[in-house]
Amino acid sequence: MMERNERKPYWRHTKVQMLTSLLPFVLAMTVLPLYADALNDKRILGMPLGYFLACHGLVVIAFVTIAVFVNRQDAIDHWHGAHEDL
Amino acid sequence: MAITARTRLVNPRLGTYFGIFAAAFAALVLMALMLEQLGVGDGLVRLMMFAGPLAFFAAIGVGSRAQEARDYFACGRRVPAFFNGLVLGVAALGGAGFLALTGALFIIGFDAICLAVGWYAGLVFMGVLFAPFVRKYGAYTLPTFLGRRFESRTVRIVAAAILSVPILLLLVAEARFAAYAAAWLLGQSERLMVAVVMTCATAIIIAGGMRSATWSSVAKAIVALLALAVPVTTVALMVSNLPLPQMTHGNVLRLLTRAEINQGVPIVLAPALAFDLPREGVEQLVKRFIQSFGSIGSLSFVLMSFVAAAGIAASPALLMRSGTTPGVYEARKSLGWAVLVTGIVLLTLPAVAVYLRALVFEQVVGHPGDSLPAWFQLLQQAGIARIEAKTQVVRLAGLGFERDAVLFALPIAAGFPQVIVYLALAGALAAALAALASSLLAIGAILAEDIVYGLPDETAPESARIGTARVAMLGAAFVATWLAIAAPADPLQLFLWSLTLSASASFPVLLLAIWVKRTNAWGALAGMITGFVVAVVTMLLGETGAIGLPSPLAAVVGLPLAFVAALGATKLTPAPGRNALDIVREVRVPGGETLYDRELRLLRLKNRTAA
Repeated sequence: MMERNERKPYWRHTKVQMLTSLLPFVLAMTVLPLYADALNDKRILGMPLGYFLACHGLVVIAFVTIAVFVNRQDAIDHWHGAHEDL
Repeated sequence: MAITARTRLVNPRLGTYFGIFAAAFAALVLMALMLEQLGVGDGLVRLMMFAGPLAFFAAIGVGSRAQEARDYFACGRRVPAFFNGLVLGVAALGGAGFLALTGALFIIGFDAICLAVGWYAGLVFMGVLFAPFVRKYGAYTLPTFLGRRFESRTVRIVAAAILSVPILLLLVAEARFAAYAAAWLLGQSERLMVAVVMTCATAIIIAGGMRSATWSSVAKAIVALLALAVPVTTVALMVSNLPLPQMTHGNVLRLLTRAEINQGVPIVLAPALAFDLPREGVEQLVKRFIQSFGSIGSLSFVLMSFVAAAGIAASPALLMRSGTTPGVYEARKSLGWAVLVTGIVLLTLPAVAVYLRALVFEQVVGHPGDSLPAWFQLLQQAGIARIEAKTQVVRLAGLGFERDAVLFALPIAAGFPQVIVYLALAGALAAALAALASSLLAIGAILAEDIVYGLPDETAPESARIGTARVAMLGAAFVATWLAIAAPADPLQLFLWSLTLSASASFPVLLLAIWVKRTNAWGALAGMITGFVVAVVTMLLGETGAIGLPSPLAAVVGLPLAFVAALGATKLTPAPGRNALDIVREVRVPGGETLYDRELRLLRLKNRTAA
């Protein structure tokens, strides 16, 4: 169980982590499809770059986002002693 | 010492069991393939591919009966992260993902990616914003969590009433998709299959509730993924020598783009708010595959991906599943697996669309109408493809394709044996059944736990709670069957409406309940009611054409207004009580006992001392 006075710093840390995880992802998710047509002249792996980024790129970004979030949030929990007791 | 969830261990042999299942299913398909080659009648092979997987699901579902409430509503809290993520991913996709999205990608190309983005973005949002906290509370349904968090029975009842609507829409949509696949598989009418499919889905999960739903849905997910992978991987091997359709459809895409330019397919530019998703039935191909914003405008594209993401993230049917993991960490990790599973599926579906479209442009468009390839004539006879205008050569303008049939039109077009076509259909059916199971269970649990037992105290005996949930599930299945037969609306449209409703009624309140401690019951009520009413009114106005906003985007108005209403009502009324604040504080910390389990244990102790 975590110390009482750890609660505030723990929650501040968690909030910052939530924003650092979600904001870049939301930005990518908004911006990448909008520029797909402009990027389609270039190619990667035989695919038009704009399509590749909007389709494959976003999936990779989403997975990296959630994987990094799980990893970082676990570290935050342990740092503040808020982790589950195993 | 407190008895925590840890004392109930995860079954270490799950991998073996489902490995055996996957092998048995592969054997079934191979056996059907052999029988087909031996010349056994088509009817028997079809029946085998329909009833075989269903018999497996039913055996798993009925075999995992449950007598305890914790087993019935939360699968005993011992589903490991990977299995939970697998089920979550496939149940989130359902028939809408497998059948309708493939068709939409085939018909409008790039523009349909806005839905795909919504799916995995929604799971990312769910993992970061909601799932760990909902798991820490551990309530069996979302309205129970909201009711406890805001210390108000009114919030609980209102949430139950409002959240039932998107779940019911989802239920009807998935019933239609499942019936569609089953109807093609058996060659029967779709109306009859709605009743058959609903009966099967209910029979599979009614004995063990969440326990049956989870373990049979793992099997459904395996069937769905295998059935998706086999045809498209084989096509990928044939065209590029690499069994990775996700990464290697680039060359085919280049050929397709060139063929589209040669055929003079126009570049269409839609207004920013245009939203022209293909409807149910036969739809015409109008734009180039790779060109963006031809059917769905740029603004609609971005808004739709956010609405879908918010709708998936706060979907009461999917969030209920976070309660099944052994702990908060596993809940977080399961969302990671879910994003991986949906991501892989959503990278495979465009490959299916590209392959079929390339075949159509290579061998049909621009060719004389009387010497079309055999596979295209097959598609025409089946009613999947249609040439409307009779001209000397086939023109794109008169060429239509059935939206939901694209997934299994690819194996027909590639000239595969019939069994592979039936396999694709069985996979789509399994995915739709997984989604059907999760929504049916969610609505049954909400009706029983929050409406029947939410009014009096929650101390009813476990057998009564389970019995009520079973009756509620039967009732919900009956209503959904009736709706799906009596009012056959476009299932993709129903699915999008369900997302937009859960995005505007559930997302804001859930976000505030966890992330803003000050939110009180008045705020929650105001937020939920405002979000729901505004979304419904906007949808109706959009459908009648009174405003220019397409009805699936209604949450664009509903969601911000719900936030404003919730925050405003919270500001004007006193802060929540000490008990509610304590709950929020505890929900935010992963360590410690699951709150709902502790609460039930204390209630039971109190009753024992009172007796």
